[in-house]
Amino acid sequence: MTYRVGIDSGGTFTDLVAIADDGVVRLHKVPSNREAPAQALLEGLAGLAEQVGLPLRAFIADCELVVLGTTVALNALLQRRGAKTALLATEGHEDSIEIRLGHKEDGHRWDFSFPPATPLVPAYLRLPVHERVLADATVYTPLDEEQAAQSVRALKEHDVDAVAVSFMWSFQHPEHERRVAELVRQALPECYISLSTDVLPRVGEYTRTSTTVVNAYVGPRLTAYMRDIEQSLVQRGFRGTVYYMQSNGGLGTQSILERRPVAALGSGPAAGPVAALQLASLLGHENVISIDMGGTSFDVCLVKDGLPDVVAEVDVARYRVGLPMVNVESIGAGGGSIARVDEKGVLQVGPESAEADPGPACYGRGGTRPTVTDALVVLGYLPSDALLGGRMPIESERSVHVIEAEVAGPLGISVDAAAQGIVELAAANMVEGIRMASIQRGHDPRDFVMVAGGGAGPTFAGLLAAELGIGTVLIPKVAGAMCAFGEAAADLRYDAVRSYAARLSDVEPADLDGLFSQMEREGEEALVGATLTEGGVRVERAADMKYVDQIHHCDVPVPTGTLTDSELATLRERFHARHAQLYTYCERDNEPELLSIRASVILKQVQPTLTSSGSTDAPRAATATTRAILLPGALERVDVPVLAGERVPSEQPVEGPAIIEEETATIAVFPGMSASVLPHGLYRLTVPEAGVR
Amino acid sequence: MADSRRTEVDPITLAVVQGVLSATQRAMTSTMEMTGRSSVYAIARDYSNCLFDWEPRMILQGEDLPTHLGSLIMATKAVAEFFGGDVRPGDVMFHNDPAYDGSHIVDMCMYKPIFADGELLFWAVSKGHVIDAGGPVPGSYNRDAKEIYAEGLRIPPIKIVDRGVRREDVINLILTNVRSRRDQAGDMNAQLGAVTVAERRLTELATKYGVPVVRACVEQLLDQAEAHMRSLIRERLPNGTYRASVIAEDTGHGRGDQTLSTEITVDDDELTIRLEAPEQLDYYTNSYRSNTLSGINAGLMMFAQVQPPYNEGLYRPVHIDFGPSGTMLNAAEPAPHVNCTGGPQETICDLIREALNQADMSSASAGWNHTWCVNLAGEHPETGESWVEILIASIVGGGGAVMGVADGWHSAGAQASMGGLKTGDSELVELLAPIVLHRVEIAKDSAGPGTWRGGCGLTVEIEPIGEEMTVIAWGEGSKYPVLGVGDAHAKIVEPKLARGWHLRDGEVVREVTENGSFVVRRGERYVTRSQGGGGAGDPFERAPATVLHDVRHQKVSVEAARVEYGVAVDPETLEIDEDATRAARAAG
Repeated sequence: MTYRVGIDSGGTFTDLVAIADDGVVRLHKVPSNREAPAQALLEGLAGLAEQVGLPLRAFIADCELVVLGTTVALNALLQRRGAKTALLATEGHEDSIEIRLGHKEDGHRWDFSFPPATPLVPAYLRLPVHERVLADATVYTPLDEEQAAQSVRALKEHDVDAVAVSFMWSFQHPEHERRVAELVRQALPECYISLSTDVLPRVGEYTRTSTTVVNAYVGPRLTAYMRDIEQSLVQRGFRGTVYYMQSNGGLGTQSILERRPVAALGSGPAAGPVAALQLASLLGHENVISIDMGGTSFDVCLVKDGLPDVVAEVDVARYRVGLPMVNVESIGAGGGSIARVDEKGVLQVGPESAEADPGPACYGRGGTRPTVTDALVVLGYLPSDALLGGRMPIESERSVHVIEAEVAGPLGISVDAAAQGIVELAAANMVEGIRMASIQRGHDPRDFVMVAGGGAGPTFAGLLAAELGIGTVLIPKVAGAMCAFGEAAADLRYDAVRSYAARLSDVEPADLDGLFSQMEREGEEALVGATLTEGGVRVERAADMKYVDQIHHCDVPVPTGTLTDSELATLRERFHARHAQLYTYCERDNEPELLSIRASVILKQVQPTLTSSGSTDAPRAATATTRAILLPGALERVDVPVLAGERVPSEQPVEGPAIIEEETATIAVFPGMSASVLPHGLYRLTVPEAGVR
Repeated sequence: MADSRRTEVDPITLAVVQGVLSATQRAMTSTMEMTGRSSVYAIARDYSNCLFDWEPRMILQGEDLPTHLGSLIMATKAVAEFFGGDVRPGDVMFHNDPAYDGSHIVDMCMYKPIFADGELLFWAVSKGHVIDAGGPVPGSYNRDAKEIYAEGLRIPPIKIVDRGVRREDVINLILTNVRSRRDQAGDMNAQLGAVTVAERRLTELATKYGVPVVRACVEQLLDQAEAHMRSLIRERLPNGTYRASVIAEDTGHGRGDQTLSTEITVDDDELTIRLEAPEQLDYYTNSYRSNTLSGINAGLMMFAQVQPPYNEGLYRPVHIDFGPSGTMLNAAEPAPHVNCTGGPQETICDLIREALNQADMSSASAGWNHTWCVNLAGEHPETGESWVEILIASIVGGGGAVMGVADGWHSAGAQASMGGLKTGDSELVELLAPIVLHRVEIAKDSAGPGTWRGGCGLTVEIEPIGEEMTVIAWGEGSKYPVLGVGDAHAKIVEPKLARGWHLRDGEVVREVTENGSFVVRRGERYVTRSQGGGGAGDPFERAPATVLHDVRHQKVSVEAARVEYGVAVDPETLEIDEDATRAARAAG
């Protein structure tokens, strides 16, 4: 028997999922170890080995594939524990990562205590280089090598670990950056070097420079981590390959990520939609809305035609990153999101969070503010004594107390009504998040199935689906570790990008075709040596397009195969339609223009047929219990049957109202809905059109 | 999920409705940004989007620009009043004229009435700074205009879409009168997209909750905002009368600095603000009353520091006497005015803030940099087409320090925008206009010293790629540094002022300290520098280690550390000389 293992290291827990050849899925959760991440990983593998019934070494030898979602790069950024980084920039442009386009983030206009983001490279480590290239690739000022060498020497005195090099319009004329890189390599051979032409060869000096700096900043730490993991596994007999989940939702090898560590920034959350897609595709669905509810946030991502929605530019921990990332709409509506009555007397939920520590009040770890989890406890969705299948005791009276003090009292309503309000408002915020991810990007949520992950995601899923008119919700038994599942099941992916500025009517199809082929070869070469069970190669093409004179673009899928005039006509039509979808109008008498083109090479994995989930649940009472639950809109509590997951019969659906408890997730089946067990370790929640009422 | 136990405005429905209003406003903003053509729309975000109720009262303003805080409120009322009963589903109104309570003619506004169950329920309103509104000067900042008629195209309230049908004749009339026609047509579409996005969402909201519930929520949100402002006034401002005067500097009219005054009376939980100002000038720095209201509201918000979202209820406890018609702060036809949303609006904001700071020094704010901008124009070297660019990077300057709270942000102003504008990416700017940006840098020593330091301004250096470009410099801040708070003061003043320099062969051929227009030829350069923000408290009270940090991070020079902060730093080692510091601080 061989296994593929997905490992998701979160802030609190490290989740592991093993998928065996026979399709059996096993789940294990261990506490994370921030100081020694490899340690938690080995503990987790030991837990899986025990479930399988093998010694650790034998189990590891049977793992053909280990995939990690890691927050190492993200945490280096969040906690400011990255490399001591320097920046070499075109003279006069050294400050752009501190000027940050002169913008203060929204949400804080009159909050004068909100601090500016600290630049990753302080002013004294941002040194000028005499050189200048213009937009049309002409060299205005040739590279002054002597002066550049002088700047490099100055860096030597500062003992830096990493150097980012980003010049104006460098992607039009990479020679200056490349030459300076040589100078750095000679003077500082141990330094991690990151060039903007390698990291992000496209227009946008601020984004390109910032991305290059982030790349350099997280590079050394991520590289050390990946080497540590590999070594730990190999020492214990691992013969397979380690892969990493990248921000783009595809797997990357260690060597790809050593060159582009910034691509691992969104490593964790990217796995959610990947898992959602894998599960939904078992039932033939390719259009999926993935939701994942964690402690601090509620993450939504849209998967269309089998591909997660990807965004080309986003701020991560306040630093601009321009590499493709799975477009996760993150709403401050996690289990730990705090409910409060604001200064104007209006109830708010999130974005402030009690996180894992102190956590919700009911955890009894010092949390004094009401959270979404506390509301779920008060209403009876969650048991009043313990969570995680009994492994984590809670104190429900604390939930009652804080909701009374912080919400019910100030609003002059009962604790029950306040708890209902918190849940209703959190759900409304989630619905807005799903709208942002779907309707706001031109997609009708009713054309999608929802896949719900996270501990409380399946509690809310029915409410959200009803509100949005989504008829089917799929909930994996491993909902609480959906990302780890996604990692075990993901495909390999490489993204290539080229700047390509041209009016559509001027595009020579053969020319464009040639560029795409070149990028696709680049991707195939990068993925060579992959040891995955190959299920074929999929190539996706996209173009960033806009109307002539527009500045921002939307991305439009480009037909694959040989490009001729007819494909370009299709592209034109697709762009008009996309613009209208997004912004309510298009301009048919205006000329579309390409800005850059992107190719993604995806090496598909052959998926095992999932059979069932080997449950690790502690044995439970044989009979279904009931709990008094206050349902949405209800005035009175009703006794609702509560079923342990393994006791749910596969032959007949569970009619709502009912609660199904898995070890790491709670599924709410609302009145009018029904839940059935499917053969792949999945539940299907059927939501009638009329909604929950 | 309404239930029978709740009243029409149960707190949960209220919160949900407010959330939808906020999300709708954000969707409008993202539509403008993503589809706009001109750099002001697409990369600088020089616009504001707002939602109004049926009255119309402003029920949700986003965080776009402080300089639009009041003018949108008055303008929407004026437009609704003009059309009276002639407001129909599918209409979109358009307007820019300050005589109908617009801010200035380059701020073009769209107003879309939104109906539910046949009733007028909302207005979606969008105000955007267009690249040009006609008149003799590209960008429409005509310092020679003696009257508004010489500034550009005035548009009283009109319909550009009538019951769903675009009035192409009217749109054509407008586009014919402005420069950069293609961009402007695109920007108009972007704005139409924004108000249409709002209609889509708000119609759904009304359908879901029903008109009576939505109306009740709106009333409740207004009342609660009002109650909050009342409590702030009652708790933080002692009863009494507070007076302040500020200088509106002479930026080129030659009639000298003018003094603006206010008297604010605090009566329990209400404020009465009286303004006093000299007669209007035949110069474009007059402020019509809706722009003046923006300045007043921005000053109030610097005091109140309210969290988003915002609605008009906040301003109910505030009574305003604009003074007689025909002054610099209550201008009347035919006063020229285009410069008003920068310096004049910011000066009014200073005036109100200064008066309120006297009543409450806790968390008192210093000023932010005043707008000092360059508009650029020329002909494309290849196509010969004319181009106009408002170089937003030139506006961005230092944020104000806040007493006991924080240093000012570097490069986040001007006070008219408070971080809401964006400079635009340097490469994108070079794509849009045939110029080279040789330098976009944080200006050392520009920040106002204080226990809490102001933020630094920016220096921007520009060269034309074609034969020449016209530089139209406008704004203020070249005579006086930004106002500080308490004992904050600057000893090295020059770097804290706004400046322009015309360079030829690296030599300064002209130093620019007032509004003007110049031709800069190929090979020459124009340098513009914004002010830093004001400091708060005595700079000698700033911890020496913090001053040293500023020196090491190149925001404060060694000399300024010694002179302005009394901190002696060794220029070689960049370490503090403790003895010399003690001596300097003792000497005062």
